Amino acid sequence: MALLTEQEKIAAVGSIRPIRSRNFALTVPALLLLVVFFILPVVSLLLRSVMEPEPGLQNYQALLGSTTYLKIFLNTFSVSALVTAVTLAIGFPVAWALAIMPKRWASIVFAVLLLSMWTNLLTRTYAWMVLLQRTGIINKTLMGLGLISEPLPLVNNLVGVTIGMTYIMLPFIILPLYGVIRKIDPAILQAAALCGATRWQALSRILIPLAAPGMVSGALMVFVMSLGYFVTPALLGGTANMMLAELIAQFVQSLVNWGMGGAAALVLLVVTLALYAVQLKLFGTARMEGR
Amino acid sequence: MLLNFDRLGGWKWMLLGITGLTAAFLILPIVFIAALSFGSSQWLIFPPPGWTLKWYAMFFADPRWLEAAGTSFYIAAIVTVLSVLIGLVASFGLVRGRFIGKEGLRALFLTPMILPVVVLAVALYAFFLRIGLNGTVTGFVIAHLVVALPFSILSITNALEGFDKSIEDAAVLCGASPLEAKLRITLPSISHGLFSAAVFSFLTSWDEVVLAIFMASPTLQTLPVKIWATLRQDLTPVIAAASTLLIVITIALMLLVALLRKGLKS
Repeated sequence: MALLTEQEKIAAVGSIRPIRSRNFALTVPALLLLVVFFILPVVSLLLRSVMEPEPGLQNYQALLGSTTYLKIFLNTFSVSALVTAVTLAIGFPVAWALAIMPKRWASIVFAVLLLSMWTNLLTRTYAWMVLLQRTGIINKTLMGLGLISEPLPLVNNLVGVTIGMTYIMLPFIILPLYGVIRKIDPAILQAAALCGATRWQALSRILIPLAAPGMVSGALMVFVMSLGYFVTPALLGGTANMMLAELIAQFVQSLVNWGMGGAAALVLLVVTLALYAVQLKLFGTARMEGR
Repeated sequence: MLLNFDRLGGWKWMLLGITGLTAAFLILPIVFIAALSFGSSQWLIFPPPGWTLKWYAMFFADPRWLEAAGTSFYIAAIVTVLSVLIGLVASFGLVRGRFIGKEGLRALFLTPMILPVVVLAVALYAFFLRIGLNGTVTGFVIAHLVVALPFSILSITNALEGFDKSIEDAAVLCGASPLEAKLRITLPSISHGLFSAAVFSFLTSWDEVVLAIFMASPTLQTLPVKIWATLRQDLTPVIAAASTLLIVITIALMLLVALLRKGLKS
């Protein structure tokens, strides 16, 4: 550790009060930025939900009392749950394979994961819009194979959103799960085999339980990120399955209804923060990003 | 057994199959868009009937595309500089400082990463309506700085925590001023953290869509906003050309980062 620590300790013990704010000033520019341009605007948006058009909870009554909005909440949750389930089902075997396959092959897969993650979000969404359209390559191929006679509606509906979101969320579940599986001691599984466990028993009683913390934490992260996603659902989803982030944008941009916009934002914030609290409580870390 | 690649037996091929398919699923759309950007079909038919550069010609002939790309670069560059500077100073405070509520402050600095961007976008839009910052470079820079700063603080605090402060103290004992020791000893030692802070800040701003959609005006828009607005009308191959250019920039940045990492290791 640092050379000065001992002196500092003596100084701190010597004075009656410990030094309260050494170097605090350095964090002030960042703090100021966050308070003025992050905390205050968000708080004032949330306040508008109980102040506009008049003080009271009528915005929340309207939001939670209407079947139209409840359907949007339900849709947001079910799309996020579906995307989480699909990414987990694909992500677990991929993370498992990555943890044990020869390094050279794994590094190719990692390069693909990184390239996909770093590619512009709109580019990736655009690619799926083109691939899934009525005259797109997927419909053409299926028709060419004689599997379908009419093009399938793959965009502007649940199918499009699920494919597009799964595409974006996969790396977010594969990378943390890979980290967890890599840390599992292969000797434990060897021991299971020596004790006569079959492959399925070893998988269901040892590997999956040991990887479970990573699965839960990755799944929570994907679920929360999906809840607040805006771009992909707006472009690949249809009007029939709108999600919460789009609703907030619509209240503000098209309807100029700040009260309702604020109320919907509060709902999204409360759910997001509650799930992060669960994550924090279970795993002690919450490191992720949302778009 | 299950964690030994050579002794997996039949399961090995199943796992490899799933991984291969997933890798293909992740890479093919990107390859596909790059291929179509050279295809002559207006309707993005694959395989294209012929090959052409006309979508690139259209991209470079339209001043609005170039202007949007220029604006994106300009804003991302300012955001990068501010994010690294503010992040560096704040990281020193967080790593070296001793004050009540330090851990809480560190968590607070990372919250813009976890909150849904759409909430911040709507909130800032409302605030900027009042003070007249919507549709200005300043507005864009502030909005992107709020979401870029957490990445910067995360990278730099990590680097700073891995740096042995006694080296800096030794320089001071040998007669360097505290500032000189920081500039000539500490900063070069954490340069990898500063570099990744810069790359992440740049990419965060350069790729950011949601905040930008709200901040944009008819006269000031970034490249993602221009792509977004065009996408809502039709799927013109010009977007494929623009996307391919973005992919090339991404790959170049990735290679740069990989090369620098290799250089640091050796």
